[in-house]
Amino acid sequence: MATAPTSTYSPSNSWERARQQQKKSLFRKEDWVRSDGRNFHQCRPAFLRTGATNAASGSAYAEFGSTKVIVSVFGPRESKKAMMYSDTGRLNCHVSYTTFSAPIRGQGTDNKEYSSMLHKALESAIILETFPKTTVDIFALVLESGGGDLPVIISCASLALADAGIMMYDLVSAVSLSCFGTNLVIDPTTEEEACRDGSFMISYMPSRNEITQFTLTGEWSTAKINEALELCLDACSKLAEIMRSCLKDNVLS
Amino acid sequence: MEVEKSTSLPTSLIDKSVFPGDIILDLTSMPDQTIKLGAGLRQDCDVVSAVKYGILRFKKPNKYWVESSQKRYVPSAEDTVLGVVMDAKPDNFLVDIKGPMIAFLPVLAFEGGTRRNIPKFEIGTLLYVRVVKANNCMNPELSCTDASGKAAEFGPLRDGYMFETSTGLARMLLSSPTCPVLEALGKKLSFEIAVGLNGRVWVNASSPSTVILISNAIMRSEFLSAAQQKIMVEKLMQRFQV
Repeated sequence: MATAPTSTYSPSNSWERARQQQKKSLFRKEDWVRSDGRNFHQCRPAFLRTGATNAASGSAYAEFGSTKVIVSVFGPRESKKAMMYSDTGRLNCHVSYTTFSAPIRGQGTDNKEYSSMLHKALESAIILETFPKTTVDIFALVLESGGGDLPVIISCASLALADAGIMMYDLVSAVSLSCFGTNLVIDPTTEEEACRDGSFMISYMPSRNEITQFTLTGEWSTAKINEALELCLDACSKLAEIMRSCLKDNVLS
Repeated sequence: MEVEKSTSLPTSLIDKSVFPGDIILDLTSMPDQTIKLGAGLRQDCDVVSAVKYGILRFKKPNKYWVESSQKRYVPSAEDTVLGVVMDAKPDNFLVDIKGPMIAFLPVLAFEGGTRRNIPKFEIGTLLYVRVVKANNCMNPELSCTDASGKAAEFGPLRDGYMFETSTGLARMLLSSPTCPVLEALGKKLSFEIAVGLNGRVWVNASSPSTVILISNAIMRSEFLSAAQQKIMVEKLMQRFQV
């Protein structure tokens, strides 16, 4: 997909660029309707299930629109002998994309970054002192990447941890938001994420009213940040309610 | 932003599902009381909150705990569990009890055990043992004797079939009065069963088809009520004309 430095005639590239420009200008209009019919402050419908993987101590499957993620939690289990003694537990996160998760076949580009971001989002929610000398392994597999992957991974991982019975301060729910000019659009899809001006993602613990992770890219004014924060906190609280009802339903079934 | 204090009374959450982060008790409203907190609860300054998902239970006068059912086991003292021997060292056997760390079974922890008659367990032997010491920073310690030193049914389990279930189902099987599914099975079939609180169940009967019938009936009974369990067992037995 790289463009050549000299003026080589490549019709597909310039057509792609023209389409992107058109989309960018379209997304900045006030009355733009999103491709799946949602309004700006509406999140995708969420489908969550625990107990997806039999072999794991806890697992969860999440489907938000076309983003599908399965997370398995193993542990706490013994750390490798080479690691030193630690009086708090260790958390080991790994995020991987399947080769068929993106429209173009191939490994995803943000794997390593997402693993460490997942780690940061969850480590303050887990009570690590309850399992010293042992490790909890979290493996997240993205089956289909339809935009807003990391928030879905974080919420699904927190549900899998609750399913495994690992002690946590609270469930963590995460939501992301993109800005296009003056429009703030919550829970973007892949095509919306590609042309955005800035992004805003928070991971939030509703009962304790604490944010575990906050990621901001692009240029934001203070007023816009405040508005975005309120939208996201509200969406996170609602998502946490959905996660709780999922945990309850699965046990009764 | 202010934290919303939970205005619900403690009694309203008993026997209901609680989630990590739920505030169970507000200690400022109950001064001069001693409260015992069991598994799954944690004190944070002056509130008690849940850290696990489960059902909140209360036993008079003052014990609260969260009952949850998982695939993994958290070792605690005086539990009887089924362990699988992983390795044999000069001083103890390494036994896996489905907990976070591997457990040690001292070589002398048998009735009449001396250095001269150390039992020889192969790797993979199933043992019915009692947890003597368990805290979260040390490997748990096991014993094949009860508190007074007698053998009391502990030791290796030969023949039969072992399968794994959740800890909640194991507790239900061990509850008294006898669990409905075991009662219904016991009326028509004769079998031996050992249930470990770590979620492992061992069944032995005279014929393999009986063993399969019993293990399937137990595995299916986890979320059924008493009446449903009896009906399920009757249907299974009819299909196999026992």
